[in-house]
Amino acid sequence: MRRLPVYLLLDTSGSMKGEPLESVKTGIHAMLSGLRQDPHALESLHLSIITFDREVKIVVPLTSLETLQMPEIVCPDSGPTHLGAALEVLTQRVKAEVVLSNEEGKGDWRPLLFVMTDGVPSDIQLYKEVIPQVRSCGFASIIACAAGPKARKEDLRALADQVVSLETMDGNGFVSFFRWVSASMAAGSAGQGGGSGGGAQLPPPPPEINVVF
Amino acid sequence: MSIFRLQTTNGTTFEFDDEAPAGSGGMKDVFFSKDRRNVIGWYRKTPDANAMERLKNITNLYRQRIFEQEGGAYWESLFCWPSHIIEERGLVGVVMPAYQSHFFFEHGSKNNDFLGIKGKEKEGKWFASANHQQKHLDPRERGTWLSYLTICIKISRAVKRLHMAGLAHSDLSYKNVLVDPAGGHACLIDLDTLVVPGKFPPDVVGTPDFIAPEVLRTLKIPAGTPGKFLPCIETDRHALAVLVYMYLLYRHPLRGRKVHDDDAQRDEELSMGDRALFVEHPDDLSNRPDPDSVKPGFLPFADAARIPYTICGPYLKEIFERGFVGGLHVPSQRPSADEMERALVKTVDLIQPCANPSCDQKWFVFDNSTRPRCPFCGTAVSGPLPMLNLYSSRGGGKFLPDNHRLMVYTNQYLYPWHVSRAVFPNERLTAEQKRPVGYFVFHDGHWLLVNQTLTGLKQVTADGPVPVPPGSSVVLENDQKLLLSPEDGGRLAHVMMANV
Repeated sequence: MRRLPVYLLLDTSGSMKGEPLESVKTGIHAMLSGLRQDPHALESLHLSIITFDREVKIVVPLTSLETLQMPEIVCPDSGPTHLGAALEVLTQRVKAEVVLSNEEGKGDWRPLLFVMTDGVPSDIQLYKEVIPQVRSCGFASIIACAAGPKARKEDLRALADQVVSLETMDGNGFVSFFRWVSASMAAGSAGQGGGSGGGAQLPPPPPEINVVF
Repeated sequence: MSIFRLQTTNGTTFEFDDEAPAGSGGMKDVFFSKDRRNVIGWYRKTPDANAMERLKNITNLYRQRIFEQEGGAYWESLFCWPSHIIEERGLVGVVMPAYQSHFFFEHGSKNNDFLGIKGKEKEGKWFASANHQQKHLDPRERGTWLSYLTICIKISRAVKRLHMAGLAHSDLSYKNVLVDPAGGHACLIDLDTLVVPGKFPPDVVGTPDFIAPEVLRTLKIPAGTPGKFLPCIETDRHALAVLVYMYLLYRHPLRGRKVHDDDAQRDEELSMGDRALFVEHPDDLSNRPDPDSVKPGFLPFADAARIPYTICGPYLKEIFERGFVGGLHVPSQRPSADEMERALVKTVDLIQPCANPSCDQKWFVFDNSTRPRCPFCGTAVSGPLPMLNLYSSRGGGKFLPDNHRLMVYTNQYLYPWHVSRAVFPNERLTAEQKRPVGYFVFHDGHWLLVNQTLTGLKQVTADGPVPVPPGSSVVLENDQKLLLSPEDGGRLAHVMMANV
């Protein structure tokens, strides 16, 4: 059974503290329970969650949806947003965790990456250097979410195939974002190899989210 | 509640509750009617002229052809057929019956519904996967192997009816067929995209896992180009064979170990398309499923050596071989929905209850061996096992084999379709023909056939026929011959005893 690996990179820098982080957690919980009700996702989806602030933490290594237990996510009171360092860790994790096809057997589906941040990378030099490595990891799709007014979409466009922006950092925004992420994953787990002959087809984002072109 | 009264294009009025969403598909937003008996699906994208013309035909002409004929009511439980079109404020909607309540999970998943699926639609994928069956679903939702035979018969029969009307579903999959294994129900949905060959072309290529190899192989060829394959009756036949295989064996017939390309996407296209290969191909073993690479929840079904397709009995063996060996890349050789239905119905007569009360599947097909055992749990059959090989008269006292056998178990019934070749158990059965004419019972160390209503039942002996009048019984013995009916097409049963 082919696995569909999905990596979720979450900004936990100081500015996320309070309502934004709580909303993200609510969004992830709703997403996980929704995905578990989808027999296609439940069979193939594997999820990893990596958080980044001053430090990069592998909160959940690549784990099947069936067995995934959501640990506590916390963020410091203040501090930088080390997205570059997080992407560096991500490339190592993908190399270690995603199974490639060989003569022995079938590998995983091409992984999906979702990055959510409310600011700008503090390690912008490293961020720029690591982007080509991320792009060579073979992601089927990279989606970035610029949350709130301080997130710089231009930075994210260099990384992602698609950038969506959340105007406000309230609960509704995050919940609808994760609902969309969840629909994208469900479509990926049901639809890979399907009709269009392309990669996983993403459903249209919900109306609350603006796609940045 | 916010009720809207809407008039259909043919003047019927419905009241819909636009605060009662009934789920949404890829194309429509769906709401319940006030009485919850119907739903309206609003198209997100207004159908074009061709799609409107098709919808009109589906709700009128095609609907009449199937439902407004003698016995038409039979089909109401097997199709969720669109009945009316509504055009309102620039939107187009279609009215359909609401799904029956048995198509929603009553118990859901194990451990007090740990997945939270109670009340959700019973999407077929839950039941077509060994892991979901064994690790996730509440046992009360799962049904037995016999209930899967039953739902496969219903699906095949519904597909046969569409094909007889010259229609192709074009997107048969476990998403578009609702199933209720616990109750033995099935229903085809999403019928607003039916394909009429030469008239209304398909909108979709189908759903992964069910797309026919020739469609996937020619996906990138533009429509209208010679050599391009689109969904049609032959591709429905492929999808139907895949569905039946998956519901009986809980694995996919083409998903094996063979790697065609390092890129997962390309590998998928090849293994379902151009280089599709049956995982149990008798001569090419290269795509056998790898039982070592799967989670324990998929076993034993992921191990084709332990649960081969031949456990489905001789009729389905031949059907699967035509569908996945001979006909996989030769659409004209695929078994029709009618042939599938017949094979499934005859297989019901080969079924035996498993003696092990904790066997998951509860029923299995007799394997024609002298020492039969349940292929799922390995429990041996105890005691003598009679079977009736059926022959039918072709005039002049000549009886020819019908390639039809009836296995006996306690309280197994004998029906009119066993008695005469002229009767087949399908939607055309009359109420009279659905009534058993006799039954089998193990009593005092012997198997008895108890005759209820057969006036012509005779035991054929060397000394001439011995009548077995209604209300009496006959002890079954090896090599015994029972004439079930003296009429033309009437059957002679030759009794064989296994496990003695």
